[in-house]
Order: sequence, then C-alpha cells, then structure tokens
Amino acid sequence: MAKHNEGYVSFDENGTLIKCTKTAEEAAEETRGGTAEAGSAAEDADADAEAVGAADARDDAAAIRVRGFRRSGFSPLDTVVSTFGDGVRGARVVVGEAGRAFSLFDPKQARQRKKARRDKRHARTRVAFFRFSHYDAAFKYFVEQVLDADFVALPPATKRTFDLGSRYSSDSVCAPFKHILGDYIEALELGADVLVQFAGPCRLGYYGELQQSILRDLGYEFDMLNFSTVTGKPAVDYIKICRAKVNPNVSVPHGARQLLATFKMIEALDEVNDFYLANAGFECEPGSFVRTRDRFFDAMRSCTCERDIVETRNAFLDEFRNLPVDKPAHPLRVGIVGEFFTAPDEHSNLQLERKLLDMGVEVHRTVSLTNRALHYNEKNLRASVSDYVTYDMGPTSSLTLAAALKYAQEDFDGVVHVKSSGCTPEIDCMTVLARIASDYRMPVLYLSYDSQTSDTGLDTRLEAFYDMLAMKKERG
Amino acid sequence: MTDAYLGIDIGSISTKGVIIDENRTIVARAYLWTEGSPAEAARRVAAELASQIDRDEVRVRAVGTTGSARRLVGAMTGATMIKNEITAHAVGTTYLHPDVRTILEIGGQDSKIICVENGVAVDYAMNTLCAAGTGAFLSSQAHRLGVAVEEFGEIALSSRKPANIAARCTVFAESDLVHKIQVGYAREDIIAGLCRAVATNYLNNVGKGKAIAAPVVFQGGVSKNAGVVKAFEDELGMPVTVDADGHLMGAFGVALLAADDAERPSGRGRGMGVESAATEAGRRGAFSPDETGRPTFNFDELGAFEFATREVECQKCSNHCEIICVYRDGDLIDSWGNRCEKGEIKAK
Repeated sequence: MAKHNEGYVSFDENGTLIKCTKTAEEAAEETRGGTAEAGSAAEDADADAEAVGAADARDDAAAIRVRGFRRSGFSPLDTVVSTFGDGVRGARVVVGEAGRAFSLFDPKQARQRKKARRDKRHARTRVAFFRFSHYDAAFKYFVEQVLDADFVALPPATKRTFDLGSRYSSDSVCAPFKHILGDYIEALELGADVLVQFAGPCRLGYYGELQQSILRDLGYEFDMLNFSTVTGKPAVDYIKICRAKVNPNVSVPHGARQLLATFKMIEALDEVNDFYLANAGFECEPGSFVRTRDRFFDAMRSCTCERDIVETRNAFLDEFRNLPVDKPAHPLRVGIVGEFFTAPDEHSNLQLERKLLDMGVEVHRTVSLTNRALHYNEKNLRASVSDYVTYDMGPTSSLTLAAALKYAQEDFDGVVHVKSSGCTPEIDCMTVLARIASDYRMPVLYLSYDSQTSDTGLDTRLEAFYDMLAMKKERG
Repeated sequence: MTDAYLGIDIGSISTKGVIIDENRTIVARAYLWTEGSPAEAARRVAAELASQIDRDEVRVRAVGTTGSARRLVGAMTGATMIKNEITAHAVGTTYLHPDVRTILEIGGQDSKIICVENGVAVDYAMNTLCAAGTGAFLSSQAHRLGVAVEEFGEIALSSRKPANIAARCTVFAESDLVHKIQVGYAREDIIAGLCRAVATNYLNNVGKGKAIAAPVVFQGGVSKNAGVVKAFEDELGMPVTVDADGHLMGAFGVALLAADDAERPSGRGRGMGVESAATEAGRRGAFSPDETGRPTFNFDELGAFEFATREVECQKCSNHCEIICVYRDGDLIDSWGNRCEKGEIKAK
C-alpha cells in the first residue's frame, strides 16, 4: 500500500505535486465519494485496494487508522492554541518549516473528501467571516471542510460597508474595527447565523465581544464564534465552542486534517499573490494579471480537498509565470510593511498596491497571514533587528521592523509603512523605521488610514514618492 | 518667435502662474487669491500672464498644472503635465538652488518638508490630518487681531519679547492666543509668538525625525512672512534662504517639467501623467495651431468658454463612486473618480 501510494502521487520538499500516474488517477476517482472520517478510513482503503487490485493494500488498511497524528510529533490543534494562545504578546508558532509540507501531509488523505453527513436534528448553520484581504477562500474552506457548515460569502466591500461600520462604532476606534463591524452587518443582512472573530494579537482580541454587544443592541440575533474567549485554553475548548456554536457533529480527526489544509491554502494564496505583486506592474497586456488572479481566487474558492489546493496553486503559478511581462533589469522596488489588518487589506488601504503597480513598481509585502500567523517566530525576528530594538513592542512590530530592515539590506528603493490611524504599536515603530531609513539611506513613506482618509491625498503622496524614487534612481 | 511653457499652481488659498522661455527663465509671473473658484482663478492668472508677454513673439507650447486643483485646471487648459505639488516644488527649487539640502514649504492648507541630496529629493513628509500652523491659520488670526496678514512679518520683527503660545494644535493655539489678548499682551509680542508657534509646530510635526541640513530654502506663501523666517532661523540655528520667487516655485517646477516633457522626443514615460479618460476635446484643451501649424496655447480661448463641474454618483454597483465630470460649454472634456471601468464616462 505504501509503495503504491508513493507511486501514485509524490511530493517534493515544497509539497509540490511532482508525479501522478494515470491508473491511480482513475482509482482516485473511484474513492472520491468515500467517507473520510478516521473511523471509516479503513473501509475506504479497502475499497481503494480493490479498485487497483493491489494485494498488500488490505494489510495496510489498518495502518491508516493510526496514520496522521502519530507520524508527526505535534497535534495540529495545539498550533491554533499557540498561535494566539500564549498571551497577547510573544506568541511563537511552529507549523512545519516555511516552504516544507506539513508532516501530516499524506497523499492518500489529501484527496479525501467528506461526504455530507445527514443530521436530521440540527439545521446547518450559516457561518460568516469578516472580509480580510484575499483570504475569503480560506475562510470558506475552514467553514465548509473543518466546521462542516454553510459559508456566507460576502460580495466585495463598498463604501456602504464602511459607512455602516463607522456609524455604529466609536469615532476614535481604529479603522479595522469599523471595517469588520460593517462586514458583520452585511453578513447578518445576508442571513448569517454565526459570526467568526479571531483572537487578535492586539486590541483586535477584545473586538469580538464589543462588536457582539453593538450588534445585539442593534437588534440582530446571531451567535458569535469568538476564539478569544478560549485563548490560552486547551484544544478541547476550541472544539467545544465550535460544537456549541456551529455544528454539534464536528469531527475532530477530519477537522484537524482539514485545518492543516486550510493553512496550506493560506500559504498558497499568499505565495501566488506575492508573485502577482512582484510582476503585475510590468504586464505586457493591461489587466492580464488582475484577471488571472481573480480566476485563481475563484478556483481556490471551489477547492474541497487538499489536493485541489495544491493542484490549483501549481496550475496558476505556471500560468502566472507564462504571462508576458516587460520587466527592466533594475525595476523600482518598494516594500510594504505595517499593521496586520490595513497593510494586506486593499479595501482598507484604498488599493495602495494597485496604485503602486499601476506606476510600474515591483511590490513586496511581508506582512500576511502566512508570515504573521503560520510561520511567525518572534524570537528570530527580534534577533534579526537586535541592532535597533531590545523588547517586543507589540503585535506586528517585530515583523514590521524585520521586514523593513530586510528590504533595506536588499537595496529596495523605498518602503511604505501602512497603519490605521491611532495604532499605537505601529506608531512606536515609526521612530525605529526612521533610524533604519537614515542608516540605509532608503526613504520611508508613512501612511495612516482612518474613515476620513481621502483618495486624492493618497494619490498625491504616492505620486510624489514614486517621482522621488524614480528621479533618485535615474541620477544614481 | 520663441517657444515658452506655462506652469499654473492652483492652491487652496492662492493661484500662481509663470511662463518660462526656452532657457528656463521666468518671463511672466502672476499671483492672486483663488477665492474658492479654481477655474476662475486659472482664467485670471492666464489673463494676467498674457498681459505681461508679447504674444506674437512668445508662443506657449505646453502647459503644466500642479496644486490641489491640478486635475480640473489641467482638463481646462489641455495640460500635458499634471504633477503633484511635492514633485513640482522639489524640481523648481533644485533647479534654482542646485546645492539646496532642505526645502521647507508652508502653504495655505498644507505644509511639507523635502530633503535633497545632490539635487535629488531623497525624503519628504507632508502634514496629514492637521492643518495647524499653515497659512490659513495665520490669516484667520490676523483677522481676529485686525491686522492684514501681509503686515504680520514687520510687526513680528518689532517685538522684543515674543509671547509663548501653545503651538501643538490650532484649536489650543487659538484659545491660548485669546487668553493672551485678554490678559493684555502687546500686539507685536502676540504676533511674534504666533510666528514662532508656526515654526515650532512645523518642526515638531512635519519635520519630525528629518535631518535638516543647510542650505535651507523656505518657500510657499508663509515664507513671505519675515517673522516666521526669523523664527525658523532662531530654531534651526542656520540661515534660511527665501527666494523672491519662492511663492511661485510650484508653478515654476511644473513649467520645467512640461518643458522637459515637450522637448523629449518620445513623450511621456510611465509615471503618473495625464489619465486617458480625457476626451479628444479635453486633450486639445485651449490649444490651437498657430501659423506654423504647431499647437499653441490660446489665452483667449480659456476666457471664452464656460467651464462647469458636475458630480455623478455611479449606479453601476453598490460602491457608488463619485465621478467628477468637467464640461466645457456643455461638452464633456474629462472625468475621473471611478474605481473600475464600469464607471468610465465617455463623450457621446
């Protein structure tokens, strides 16, 4: 069985699919409808064995029962706990090494899809997340595959979203709060039963409860799956609230595997987006990159198993690499650093990346879910900026500074620092960034967003920043 | 016959215009109040500039616009260079003062600092949410004190003991100022204190974290105020140069850029120039061919047409972008403000 598995599909270090035989492809089709619960995995393997006629497969069927958790040294749910669990600051996360496949990753399990389980006593809940950058595909996957509930997809955010959010929140609260509140109101209008809020690394951790009471005051009826209520507690508690709020039949073994697949999807989304940011400014055919990226997100939204994710990622990376670009040998390179919500979310930052790309700039952005939540190592980051800071300054400060320093050392032309107005940890970063900027003679543009920020003001500043970098580069 | 280039800087308070010749020397200058109507102000500036040149001899080949109404006036005139005021100021100042290291600029509603090395801007900052310590603040306080803002500088210099006025915020500065007036401080001490407040506020907000190196050039409308210049010199401990044309530097800079662009054979690069939303009539603007067939800016045409701006709320999706449309005698010449191609408005 093991041998057959290897032959059927194998993965290199990066988790990239490198081999896939035709017979196995057919076999996969046959088993696709099979259940994926750990308890029924053995029957599944039996069916698989019959399909390809491998004699020794039956013996290995039992082994599948224990495969998964035993092979790796950690429980995937511990990851969630430690991501946001051990205190607001200093969270240290190890979910495999960057770029390497999760050790749980098993080609057999990767193509298992869950059969809809019929539950006559409970109606399926409709779960909604807030909008955050391009991660809605991962949120959808989490809701459908991990929680086994319906996902309420939100249309793109509009001015109305933010107006709604601002109207019902305190004026002095940071812009992400207003964006998220607006998203929730729109989600409830679309019929969501449960809203999800993370435990955030900053004040965001308290936002869930506040938003819940604001929405209740507005008269909405809903449940809130707020992970900050179980922060620091064992994984069992996480499962408990998921069962209490969303689906009493959440399967732990299946859910755990799909949670890892969700992480995989987040990595894939960020990886492809990084390629887009670095190259879309030089596209030969206007709009080709945006169109391809939109199709990529659509394809990611329809993924239902880990194998879909890997294949979609590979297919679109290939497609992106084949798009014609006219890139000069030394293009203007700008790095985006800053606050966790505003920097990656293009609706919050008024399409900052799009504007830079339109000017023909190679854009890099380190701050993302992958780098902040999945592969975050506070100790290493702070060690790398030890010339400038000694202590942890807040949720994304070390990442902001380390990224800016990396850009400076790699001879980037400039860095744009993005934050929501009044974000204290990022304000603290600004003085350190000014020192990095003067040490490496690299200009830094500071942008601050709140509900009053105008597009025109942003255009003026970005244009001037671009002109400055371009003239500086031209005259050497 | 010489080729010339026109630069117009339409700010919130004042509108500036210059005409430069092929050798990049200023041959005509204009400076007047915007008075809340940028289109009208641009027309008056053009008329004033036209009266200073021999129009048979000097032919304007390209127009550049800058300042907060650059887009509107750019559409009116058919400008080939529409640039932000930061770049325009940097270009203009470094042309006249190649050795400058720091440019301080305080205008009607905004203030900025530009750090320059070897003639190239390397860093800049602009005031963000707060207009404390800008020209508009000085004007309103001058009104309160019953003094013309133009006289501020002289009065401030006559003070021997400037009052200490809280500078952090316009609102606090104003209440502190009222308090000092009521306590009976001498008027020149208050005015000198106000000038100093403008300088310290600027250095603490816009100039925060920036290394200010000599030579320093101070420009913008507030640079005409000798009291503020003195306050900057005291604070910085270095001489501060104020150019006679310092208030025109944005217009001069954008005229230089328009000239460079017109003389470049290949035309515009990929930076932010004129958006393509302009209609054919909008691209032509106020230009018409002269007897040699080359397009020339026609000063009369700007005055002859009626310009109107209308705001349309796009209904194509729920974002409801506000699209700004500029009409000349009822014909659409340019539009902007749409987030996606659905909102593009084209002339029929």
